[in-house]
Amino acid sequence: MSMPAIEVVLYTGAIGLSVIGLAGLLLHNNVFRMLLALVMLEAGVNLLLILAGFRLAGVAPIILPEQMHNLSAITMNDPVPQALVLTAIVIGVGVQALGLALIMRIKAQYGTLNMLKIREQLEFDLAVQAEVSTPVSAHSPGSLAQGRVRRHVSEAITQKDEQ
Amino acid sequence: MDNIVLLVVLPLLAAFLMPVLARFSEVVARVLGLSVLVFAIAIIINVWPQVNSQATSIAIGGFMPPIGISFYVDQVSILFALAIPVMVLLFWPWQRKTSIREYSLMMLLTASSSGLVLSGDLFNIYVFYELLAVASYSLIAVQGRAVSIAASFRYLLMGSVGSVMMLLGIAIIYTQTGTLNLAHLSLLAPLHLDNMAGLAAFALILVGMGVKAELFPVNNWVPEVYGSVSSNLAALMAGLLSKLAVIVVVRIMVLLFPQPEAMQLMAMLGILGVITGELVAWRARDFVRMLSFSSIGQLGLIFLAFSIPGDTGMMAGIALALHHMVVKPALFMLATGWSGSLENLSGVARRSPLTVLLFVLLILSLLGIPPLPGFWAKYLLMVGLAGQDSAVYTLGMIAVPLAMIVEIAYLFRLVMIMYRKEDTVKVKAHSKWGLAIAASAGAALIAIVLQLQPAGDKLTTLAQQLSDRNYYIMTVFPQFHTAETGMQSIK
Amino acid sequence: MSVLDDLLLFTALASVAIIVVRRFASVSKLSVIVYALATVLLVKMSALGYGGEPIYSSFTLNVLGQNLYWRFDSLSWFFALITVVIALFTSVFMSGAWAEKYCQEHSTEAYGLLQAALVLNVLSMLVLLASGDLLSLFIGWELVSWASFMMMFLNQDKVARKAAIKYIVYAMAAAMSILMAIAMTYSMTGSLDYVQIMQAVAHLSNTQIALLVTLYGVGFGIKMGVIPFHLWQAAAYAETPGPGAVFMGAISARMGLYALIVIVVQIFSLTRVAAIEIPYTFLNMQNILAWVGALTTIIPTYIALKQNDARYLLAWHGVGQGGYMLLGVMIADSIGTAGGIMHVFNYATYQAALFMAVTAVMFRTGTSNFSKLGGLVTQMPLTFMVMVVSIIGLAGIPPMNGFVSKWLVYRALLLDGEPLLFVAAVIGTLGTILSVYKLVHNTFLGQLRLEHQDVKEAPLSMLLPMLGLVLIIFGTGVMPGVVLDWVAAAQNAVGIAPITHNLGGIELAQGGLDMIWVTGVMFYGFAVGAIVFYFLGGKSKHIHQFDNYAGGHFLTSKVRYHYSNHFYAGLMHLIGGWYKDFFKKLEQALVSLVSFLSQLSENFYRSAQPAVLVAAVAFIALWFIMSSFSMPADTGTVAPITQGIQGGLPK
Repeated sequence: MSMPAIEVVLYTGAIGLSVIGLAGLLLHNNVFRMLLALVMLEAGVNLLLILAGFRLAGVAPIILPEQMHNLSAITMNDPVPQALVLTAIVIGVGVQALGLALIMRIKAQYGTLNMLKIREQLEFDLAVQAEVSTPVSAHSPGSLAQGRVRRHVSEAITQKDEQ
Repeated sequence: MDNIVLLVVLPLLAAFLMPVLARFSEVVARVLGLSVLVFAIAIIINVWPQVNSQATSIAIGGFMPPIGISFYVDQVSILFALAIPVMVLLFWPWQRKTSIREYSLMMLLTASSSGLVLSGDLFNIYVFYELLAVASYSLIAVQGRAVSIAASFRYLLMGSVGSVMMLLGIAIIYTQTGTLNLAHLSLLAPLHLDNMAGLAAFALILVGMGVKAELFPVNNWVPEVYGSVSSNLAALMAGLLSKLAVIVVVRIMVLLFPQPEAMQLMAMLGILGVITGELVAWRARDFVRMLSFSSIGQLGLIFLAFSIPGDTGMMAGIALALHHMVVKPALFMLATGWSGSLENLSGVARRSPLTVLLFVLLILSLLGIPPLPGFWAKYLLMVGLAGQDSAVYTLGMIAVPLAMIVEIAYLFRLVMIMYRKEDTVKVKAHSKWGLAIAASAGAALIAIVLQLQPAGDKLTTLAQQLSDRNYYIMTVFPQFHTAETGMQSIK
Repeated sequence: MSVLDDLLLFTALASVAIIVVRRFASVSKLSVIVYALATVLLVKMSALGYGGEPIYSSFTLNVLGQNLYWRFDSLSWFFALITVVIALFTSVFMSGAWAEKYCQEHSTEAYGLLQAALVLNVLSMLVLLASGDLLSLFIGWELVSWASFMMMFLNQDKVARKAAIKYIVYAMAAAMSILMAIAMTYSMTGSLDYVQIMQAVAHLSNTQIALLVTLYGVGFGIKMGVIPFHLWQAAAYAETPGPGAVFMGAISARMGLYALIVIVVQIFSLTRVAAIEIPYTFLNMQNILAWVGALTTIIPTYIALKQNDARYLLAWHGVGQGGYMLLGVMIADSIGTAGGIMHVFNYATYQAALFMAVTAVMFRTGTSNFSKLGGLVTQMPLTFMVMVVSIIGLAGIPPMNGFVSKWLVYRALLLDGEPLLFVAAVIGTLGTILSVYKLVHNTFLGQLRLEHQDVKEAPLSMLLPMLGLVLIIFGTGVMPGVVLDWVAAAQNAVGIAPITHNLGGIELAQGGLDMIWVTGVMFYGFAVGAIVFYFLGGKSKHIHQFDNYAGGHFLTSKVRYHYSNHFYAGLMHLIGGWYKDFFKKLEQALVSLVSFLSQLSENFYRSAQPAVLVAAVAFIALWFIMSSFSMPADTGTVAPITQGIQGGLPK
């Protein structure tokens, strides 16, 4: 099925944006970058959604009284995806703002933005809170954390990062 | 009947009014929230007999579906809609002196979850799902513990990616069919969604919704979040919110994706959830962590049950979901006094023998020991699984019993600790309220045992309504007398 | 209201009553009365023991489209009679002096709980025996499991608790296996009713039958403790408080046999099971089950040989004796089945007597460790007598009842042409004889220890039930026809040709057995011996226990000589290499496997990037889309909203 060149570009762009967003989420450890990647991912998907309702040479979906009898003759852009995307953008912004606020609190509490260290510290804190002295299975193979010892190391790394 | 809409509108209004009102009088603001919840319960009780006789579709603002958005009320959705205000009231943060913000967020949670179960179109489901997500991230974060912030953020990342996936899934469905109304989609589904794209859409929606429903690969937020929030919120999330997500996924699956691949995908993820959840719970060394992973395992069971084609699977799924909805919050309520290391519970049975007996009753039902309700749910699940030929269900047939053996091992290891001779004196007192909830959950289980026959009949009706596609279509579009005429008119 | 209703209702009310009055001393008397009345009710049903029609309970339950009902047939009645009679003896045993001591050592509450556990066990067993369909069978099964668990749970020692948790894991495995089997039975036959399943079985394929028999067999076998599921039972039963061990050791594990007879013999029928050939072997399914029985007679018996604690020795024996019953039932002709079913009765009588004797010894000396016992025959002669009679029964030596059932099993094996199984059974019996001798020698023979010099005979309340059991053991040994009547009725109920018998034994064309004659000849021989010995010049001299010497030196009475350590050293030198703890290691390996998998799963849940998994799933989904997604053309495939339903436009 052939497709107009412009649509190819648009679809490629939308999908590309999503992939970049996903890749960012996967490859970064910095929570702020992860949040930004999330923003890109959302943008990509929103674009994809808009494209789904987009017609080349389509007009705004407003039905005039004189067109009522002949609706199938006109090409309209589909309004539903646009409404959907509008909502998605609004909600997305809200969630991102919440995320940013949480990031600020995390930075204040943990002194780091590195996801690995946050996870490690979180696990440790939970274990301490539950009165199970060290994180459960801290010594299991494949884990990056080494419990209590690791905590001081990570603090040292954090300081280095900040310089 | 139309006042069903108030179930969403009133809590939503209250959520935004409460912070404003609190500037003038905090007491009024708090009373407002509670009175809205009570009013919601009253509305539901009022329409209950009507819904019992006939399901209804409510067009919002007089716009008929498929153009207008609609609410769909049948016995299943009204049951869960009733559970929402009741459970929010039960797990209202009574015990702690907390800011009005938390109350406001609870109201937002109520509004969005009511909307989620009642919505009749995908668009609204997405919106309410997102609202629910925002409410729960914030509720976790305002718990006031250091860990809850990090847990909330990690949950947020996961949840947002999940919602994006769900949005993508909805987009695919829309490009394939051009509508978002569930009944309309259901009519079009055999034509437009019975293909690879439809399957991909289902996978995406399943993964997106699965984040809330503790579905297997997207549930590693569970231990962190439940460990870092108060027992009340954990009970609410594990007991109620996860089930709502499951019910919505099931509704979408029944109406839109009857293809066996979709069901098998869900079954596979469910099986993996059961196995991994129970296995990790086996290693857990503190009470809340054990409950969290056990919850993952139970949700896996529920997904597995719902993925079985036919009425038996549906019945098993609803029974397991309702059962888990009663038992797991009760267990989390017991965690108010027993949070912390399992070793701390040594000899607790001497101190509070009745509480421990209650705990034993709850876990016996969870394990499926006859004649407790949990057994009948598990029996239905096994019968449903045995009736299927596909390999994935056979796998489930083997995996579920093995998981139960692991489950009994860790649960009774804990019981042994509780009945030890040595007493460690480290246990805190339970909150009276929590104990009362747990006790009434236990009483509910026993009441069901005494009323097995009517309970079984009710379950059958629920399952039939949930699995009946034509009934849904004809309720929303009463102008069609059968689904076939509807299909023809669409063509 | 049928008699069965009366029985179940009465037992249920009695359970409630006993639980209510558990803190009062009167609970012991109450329980004796309860079991006596229950026995009377069973006697009222005794028509069942002679081939009467099944008695149905008027209580039924219709749930989820299944009709659950309860009924008693001859087989259930036979098992119920054993259960209630053993409970009666146990309750008498634990009512007097034992109760006082237990209350002092623990508390009145603990004693009351023991009584409650006992009555709940009896109730749940009656419910199981009365089950009329698979679902009520499963409910009864689980009730029995948990009642047993409650009994085991009463001992608070660490070893006992460990045994109890091991038991409950095994019991859950059994329950799950049975539940799987029930679900599959339902999906294959469309019913859970025995009669309808029996009709549908004819249409099932061999593979289906094999699968079902395996699952049921594993489930019921775990309860019986057959190989390879024998590890849980001995410790769990042995560590139960004295009378609890008497009851559980005697009858509890036999519920597995009952269910197995109902399902495999009655419903699937052994001829059908025998038709299933196991590929690449010369065996069929029935042979496999029989061999499981044979191995169960051997392995646990030789494990019992190595025990150094009287309770453990007996409990391991109990596991082994289950093998005889399974073996007998699996031979499938009327003689073998009769032997297997009859062995349940015989075994229950002497195992109860043995456990009572050991409990009496523990009551007086405070220990059941062989290294700390010995020479008690002078102090407790009656208890010694009880134990001797019982081990004669256990070893299968005439004139006690154990001989009859074992004879039937051997006879059936020989007639059936199974020499290998016969040899296996004989090897098992050899182990039995060796280990029961160890039991009686290490407890009662040898020299009395200093600290036991003022030990007295067991109190009357404990002696009476023991002596009563001895009478039964001897009586049914001489007149096996009494029991064989019931066994024949039970055989008839499960669809096997009943055994031809008379009061003295079995009538067979190839040579029957008449125990009255056997006993008569034996006692005649004894009489001749006595006459020769006492009246025709036989000389005898009483020698004191301490009047002996070793290596040419007289031993002083300060050093008590009692051989209990490294018992059978010579034998162990020969067969010791065979003890490899294979099954124990297998069990440990399974636990390690679970632990490993658990760590693996936990690492999954600890992944650092919460979004990774979502993304991974999404990538897969996107790939799906890219490979299959047809882009919407300009207008065509997308159904414009207006094309939908005209009635949906705004009004």
